[in-house]
Amino acid sequence: MSTKQIPVSRRDFVKTGGALFVGFAFADTEKASAAVTATVDKLDPSSPTSWIEIHADNTILIRTGKSDFGQGTVFTAYRQIVAEELGVSFEAITNVISGDTDRTPDGGGTFDLLMHSMPNIRKVAAYVHQALLDLASQQLGVPKAQLSVKEGIVSGGGKSVSYGDLVNGRKLSLTIPVKGDINSMFGLTVEGDPPLKPVSEYSIVGKSFPNSVIVSKVSAKETWAPDVRLPEMLHGRVIHPKTLGSKLIAAGPLDKAKFPNAQVIVKANLVGVVAPTEWEAIKASQQVAAGTKWTEWKGLPGDQRLFQYLKEDADWKTAPVAKSKPKGDVATALPASAKTLSATYQLPYVKHAPIGPTMAVADVRADGTIYIYTHTQNAQALRSGIAHMLSIPADRVVVRTFAGPGHYGRSNGGNAGAEDEAVILSQAVGKPVRVQWTRQDDLQWSTQSSAAISDVQLGVDANGRLASYEISHYMPAMQDDRLVGAILAGLPTIPAPNEIGSLFGIANGMQDPWVYDATPAVAEFAYGTSQVGQTSSPINVGLRDHSLRTPGQYQQNFPRELAITEAAFLAGADPLAFRLQHATDKRVIGVLESVRETSGWQTHKTRSAHISGNMGNLRHGQGVSVMFRSGTFWACVANIAVDMTTGAIKVEKITMACDPGIVINPSQLKRQIEGGVVMGVSMTLLEEVRFNESGVVSSDWRNYPIATMADVPEIKIALINRPEIGSYGQGSEAANALAGPAIAGALLDATGKIARRLPLKPEYVQALLKA
Amino acid sequence: MTEIVVNGVKREVQAPSDTPLLYVLRNDLELTGPQFGCGLAQCGACSVLLNGTEVRSCITPLSAVKGKDVTTLEGLPARWAAQKGLSAADAAKTLHPIQAAWIEEQTPLCGFCQNGMMIKATELLEHTPSPTLTQIKAAFTTSGPSPHLCRCGSYTAIIQAVQRAAHAMKGSQA
Repeated sequence: MSTKQIPVSRRDFVKTGGALFVGFAFADTEKASAAVTATVDKLDPSSPTSWIEIHADNTILIRTGKSDFGQGTVFTAYRQIVAEELGVSFEAITNVISGDTDRTPDGGGTFDLLMHSMPNIRKVAAYVHQALLDLASQQLGVPKAQLSVKEGIVSGGGKSVSYGDLVNGRKLSLTIPVKGDINSMFGLTVEGDPPLKPVSEYSIVGKSFPNSVIVSKVSAKETWAPDVRLPEMLHGRVIHPKTLGSKLIAAGPLDKAKFPNAQVIVKANLVGVVAPTEWEAIKASQQVAAGTKWTEWKGLPGDQRLFQYLKEDADWKTAPVAKSKPKGDVATALPASAKTLSATYQLPYVKHAPIGPTMAVADVRADGTIYIYTHTQNAQALRSGIAHMLSIPADRVVVRTFAGPGHYGRSNGGNAGAEDEAVILSQAVGKPVRVQWTRQDDLQWSTQSSAAISDVQLGVDANGRLASYEISHYMPAMQDDRLVGAILAGLPTIPAPNEIGSLFGIANGMQDPWVYDATPAVAEFAYGTSQVGQTSSPINVGLRDHSLRTPGQYQQNFPRELAITEAAFLAGADPLAFRLQHATDKRVIGVLESVRETSGWQTHKTRSAHISGNMGNLRHGQGVSVMFRSGTFWACVANIAVDMTTGAIKVEKITMACDPGIVINPSQLKRQIEGGVVMGVSMTLLEEVRFNESGVVSSDWRNYPIATMADVPEIKIALINRPEIGSYGQGSEAANALAGPAIAGALLDATGKIARRLPLKPEYVQALLKA
Repeated sequence: MTEIVVNGVKREVQAPSDTPLLYVLRNDLELTGPQFGCGLAQCGACSVLLNGTEVRSCITPLSAVKGKDVTTLEGLPARWAAQKGLSAADAAKTLHPIQAAWIEEQTPLCGFCQNGMMIKATELLEHTPSPTLTQIKAAFTTSGPSPHLCRCGSYTAIIQAVQRAAHAMKGSQA
């Protein structure tokens, strides 16, 4: 068997500062003994070699606390930016170590990757670049100002030296200034303002380099988190409670005759089953689950009564109300308007729904150290959560991250779901335990993206201009980073996000920046409340919520953008022209003009103007939406066909214009946008978490359907590169938020019917058509 | 003990005969290309070829595989090499054109589902060398026990990779 050769990965043997860090370059046959003698020593973040190592052979290794979650950013954009700042080729960076708590310097999570996380490694690269120039100046006897660097060779005064020769055996006299707490959600921040390469001199940023990790994934050479096997490891399954508020009465008896090697572990309300083989663990857990008794609980409104509950029963008064900066006076402008609209918009809970249910391997060792092998987006935050759960210092915990199924924000505060349960079971049996959630566990016991309602009141004046706009958003708390296994086992966790709103004010904050600056009167409010059912659940669980891509903004952009389309129809205006009329920012105007041209938008005032394009029972329509998020401007056009009998919507084409400022890697960005579009179509047409009074009843892909290849529209993408902006906008996958309002706008265009609730399932649309 | 043929090699497996093939491949034979996605034959992450037909290894008991030929993602290069009559030396350094196309098109996002996507593409292109777009969509949605699901939304990239692979595979026959 050959050793897995991965051109750029975290799994190679790594030399750092003379010490050998034993990595994961194990052969296929060694997978069963992946127990590494990893040190619990952490890297010194003030040392440049903790971030960037330049080897004598001119190859370079970089380290970042951010893991890859399918965007490939740390393997593409990070390499491109570091190569640019150092003055080396993209290919010179042959190794990227990411995410592992003991092998990366800065922590933080896989979110805000470009705007807020990337500056760490970029600044370090810039510091190192300057230090190398100083060293070269000294060695070559040439003033620093006369030196230039190309592909890792420093030249000047007729002399030259490579980076590899410069650093060979020498230590850079450089200390990286950092601040912050590595165990926090955001990790460390690199301080200072080293000179950065002018954007006008870029030669690597802007090119479509491939994502190196794709090779190992496609050729079955990647070690995924589910592939980790340790000596003596047991397979575990957790029997989750019957309802989201149930307490354990008694665990079912284990049939030892059938399952001689299995064990049942009970800790408060946590019931686990472990066995040496996975199949025995599965069958034994099913047998035990059938006999396990739980208390009943009915504390949820049920999905049929969800929006009524949010409107009438939920407490929106305790939390402070978030407001955007008010403009004009809506109280006088609204009544003075020629035409007005007052409407409520409703979004259901949706699931992250990773293709693989969460899993983790934990090894609680006799010496008190704990090793966790998982696929978290925030390894350092998970590490502190596990330490908190066991009331031990964080430096006894090591989290190693591996490739895993994308889950789109669910673990950006640390917990992917199964890690804490694996730790609890491993501690109980004194052996490594691999906990694998089932599909049902993952749909019923994971967090989800919050449901939301929004009330809009707007007025259009006699000239067909938006005169007044007011919106109030209502959304339960989000970002529940509690470890669910710790909750069930009665162990310490951080508190649930309360009605005040958690981190980032994500529940009751303003998440969707206003983009129609020509509107004279605007008022926006956001109200928060506790997670539904959580405070009344005897085990404090309820419907736990978490970031899912565009968190909060997805919930706020749908009502706004659909309302703007409705305002255009009230004004008798083309909805895209209407948006242009109310925008003043050149980048908002830019994406709208780009999407108009790329999509072949047909400017018209009413739907009847292009009804001739309709055939038989199908009606066609077009809709548009706009969003500004994290430095990136977006516009989307949806072209749809509606079956007037069944109410079925077919999304025929989605066109997306994206202006992120500097486009770092066009082809990778396009692939990300395509993915976001498909998720957006899926959420718009299909997705809704079904739950009754006791818990989530969606349990598999039949009752939580997502888009298939048959649902995929033609996708056209226009990238607008603006190097003059000088910054990297982000959120390439944020395309998911734009499809909903564009598709609902297209439905209005096609049929004159307004669907203010998602998903747009045939029976809902059919009912609208009959109304 | 059950004797099965995986990627052209006879393997003896101690696992009980009702064990789903997926766990045998992943845990006993250390072939981790097939992934656990649902255990319900609803997503396709665990797909393998059984005598050339795409099946869901998560619900296929070991007993059903006895004497049959299993190909996993790891075995695609050798499968292609055998079909093309490549030398052992050439076979060792090749990828299946489908894998090569997946890399050239930069198809995977998280990549967790792509095992099943490439297995399904292999089944399709071995039977239908020049599939139409409709045939590609049918292969990935209606031809098996369930549609092949990708949560990251890489379907467009998968279609493009299948088309690229079809072209490459035809080219190699000329």
